[in-house]
Amino acid sequence: MSHSKAPLVSPESRTSRERTAEQKAVEAEKISKYRELEGEVRAAVARKEYSPELFQLTSKLLRTNPEYYTIWNVRRRSLISGLLSKRSAGSSPSKASPSSSPTATTTTPFAASSSSSSTATPPGPESAKIGRSSSTADVSDDPIPANPDAQTAAAEQKDLEVLRSELGFTIPLLMKSPKCYWIWNHRLWILQQAIERLQVVVSRRIWEEELGLVEKMLNKDKRNFHAWGYRRHVVSQLESPSLDGKSMVEAEFEYTTKMIRQDLSNFSAWHRRSKLIPRLLDERHADDMLRKDFLDRELNFIKEKLNVGPEDYSLWYYHQFLVLNLVSYVGHPTIAPRLTLEERTIYITREIDDIKDLLEDYPDYKLIYEALLDYTLSLCQVEGRQPDSVEKEQLVEWLEQLKRLDPMRDGRWTDLEKDCGLIELSFGKN
Amino acid sequence: MSEKAADLPEELQLLTEAHVKYIQSLDTRKDDYEYWLTEHLRLNGLYWGLTALHILGDPDALPRDETINFVLSCQHENGGFGAAPGHDAHMLSTVSAVQILAMVDALDELEARGKGNGKAQVGKYISDLQNRQTGTFAGDEWGEHDTRFLYGALNALSLLRLLDLVDVDKAVDHIAACANFDGGYGSGPGAESHAAQIFTCVAALSIAGRKDLIDTDRLGRWLSERQVGRGGLNGRPEKQEDSCYSWWVLSSLEMIGKIHWIDRDSLIAFILSCQDPQGGGIADRPGDMVDVWHTVFSITGLSLLGYPGLQPVDEVYCLPKSTVERVLGW
Repeated sequence: MSHSKAPLVSPESRTSRERTAEQKAVEAEKISKYRELEGEVRAAVARKEYSPELFQLTSKLLRTNPEYYTIWNVRRRSLISGLLSKRSAGSSPSKASPSSSPTATTTTPFAASSSSSSTATPPGPESAKIGRSSSTADVSDDPIPANPDAQTAAAEQKDLEVLRSELGFTIPLLMKSPKCYWIWNHRLWILQQAIERLQVVVSRRIWEEELGLVEKMLNKDKRNFHAWGYRRHVVSQLESPSLDGKSMVEAEFEYTTKMIRQDLSNFSAWHRRSKLIPRLLDERHADDMLRKDFLDRELNFIKEKLNVGPEDYSLWYYHQFLVLNLVSYVGHPTIAPRLTLEERTIYITREIDDIKDLLEDYPDYKLIYEALLDYTLSLCQVEGRQPDSVEKEQLVEWLEQLKRLDPMRDGRWTDLEKDCGLIELSFGKN
Repeated sequence: MSEKAADLPEELQLLTEAHVKYIQSLDTRKDDYEYWLTEHLRLNGLYWGLTALHILGDPDALPRDETINFVLSCQHENGGFGAAPGHDAHMLSTVSAVQILAMVDALDELEARGKGNGKAQVGKYISDLQNRQTGTFAGDEWGEHDTRFLYGALNALSLLRLLDLVDVDKAVDHIAACANFDGGYGSGPGAESHAAQIFTCVAALSIAGRKDLIDTDRLGRWLSERQVGRGGLNGRPEKQEDSCYSWWVLSSLEMIGKIHWIDRDSLIAFILSCQDPQGGGIADRPGDMVDVWHTVFSITGLSLLGYPGLQPVDEVYCLPKSTVERVLGW
């Protein structure tokens, strides 16, 4: 059910069938080391010893196999059980009231299910190996802590170090396996811990740094949908009250402009842009004039690009998005909702005419014919009418071109012919 | 293309026997390091392999008793299944467990030998992962949300006849929020359309009886554009073709009645060119290493294309049609 790159459930004949005795010995040695390490982890888990030693073992195992999701769970249980401070009344700095109940500070879904393991394994002195020592004791048992402020500050400092070290741990793994769901998930869990355990100003800084990581990952692979999804999540958190945030829609919109300038074929960037626009205009409190102006500029921008790259699917995708804003504008946020019917008609007609001009230079690009067909039918839809006889002739001709240039999708062109009532007409022509 | 396999030229022959042997050999490769590195996919792998065998017409090629015993050995007290004994419970492996038991007609073994309250225990594990506010599903207690999990939940719960344990309307609302203007769906609201996510969303809407929400013309257009160059399908615009998209794209097209919007013959030729004639199995692209994931989704794709000699596959459940008919009583 996963769909990242091929999980190799078992490897392949093409290379591994014939191995020399030496290769076999090397393989056997690797297997034995791996299974030994795995055995140590499992034994500790069976004893419910979520100790720093177990934590170190998970580092080793995950460096070898970051897809092993159970080990990420073990690692998080180890962090909760000892390395991170115990959260308790007053120890959660992001909460307004210091007297909020302990349960109010535990909001993540793991809290309930992991409580048994954390009480079963009180943190030992080893926990000082990572992070600063000091208040690892569970202060919730103590009604009047000796010096709650100092204790809280020390616990927070320690948590900060642990969380930072944990973020650092995943970086080389992500570089090596940028499409591994579990590594991205673990990072998000760590970031969530930052929100729950640290002062807002501190955790905000950590979250902000994530944008740098995403940038790096998207420079490596501009279409990595894990990285784009991660970016959306990071931005929405940075905008949220839990991080004292405010809207970043302008900056995000700028980011898509930058990514598109670097590479016009970046479909993911165009997609993100299309999703940001309704909010962008709302937040600019754009009136009808400004909205119309925005639409004009976007249309001009994309048409300039189409003039030199009419074969680029991503460009047409965005153009389609803009035209759809003129056609289907009821019931969802849109760029210029208050254009009159006449204005819409003028807009769509102008787009159709401009695209027709493209045909002079590029008579053999199927995406051009597809757009002409699509927008002509849209125009009829907007005006609430059937195609007239001139349009019908054009539709027939464009469909002929599409059948010629794109025979793979012949079934679709034939369906379109039927839907437009063109079948008889084309017979008539013959 | 001829409808009799024997009449087809050599390059259009599906190497059924080699693929059956390949799948049978998967659990015998314990001297391969990779075998151990992929244990976190064992139960999923069994589902992939067994489905392929059923579609190839050799459902008994893996021993039934061992299959059932292995599945049950992966179950946790809370009803969920891990990928293998010693692995934590997760939605994905739990769905695989239910699908495998359905295929070998052994769902009742959950009542007889499963943990806790049998089927109801499994249903509880799955339904507890729904966020009742948003309708989404988490993969496990750690809370990752994705439309893959939502589909898996609806798939398994409906096979168990326990769909009423969850808020289906809320789940449908969430899928609607994942729709894009191009007719496709992403992994969550705001995410770009992706063929595999489209399969999960369209199949979930099918199970929920809400296909009316799908913009079939735009979606069909987007999906048909996935066919490129040599006839193979890709998962997103401007990406390389990959045999596993034969399943994600075709099943979605089938669900909206537009499978004829792609070119059948060139896709069949592409899939068959990804076979390993020596060792069996199918790769993502010609000449690459094979794996059971690409093997099953190539074979189920061929079944949807009506390749001669294959058993029909259900486009919503990714199970043999005969299994779905038996379990759901159609």
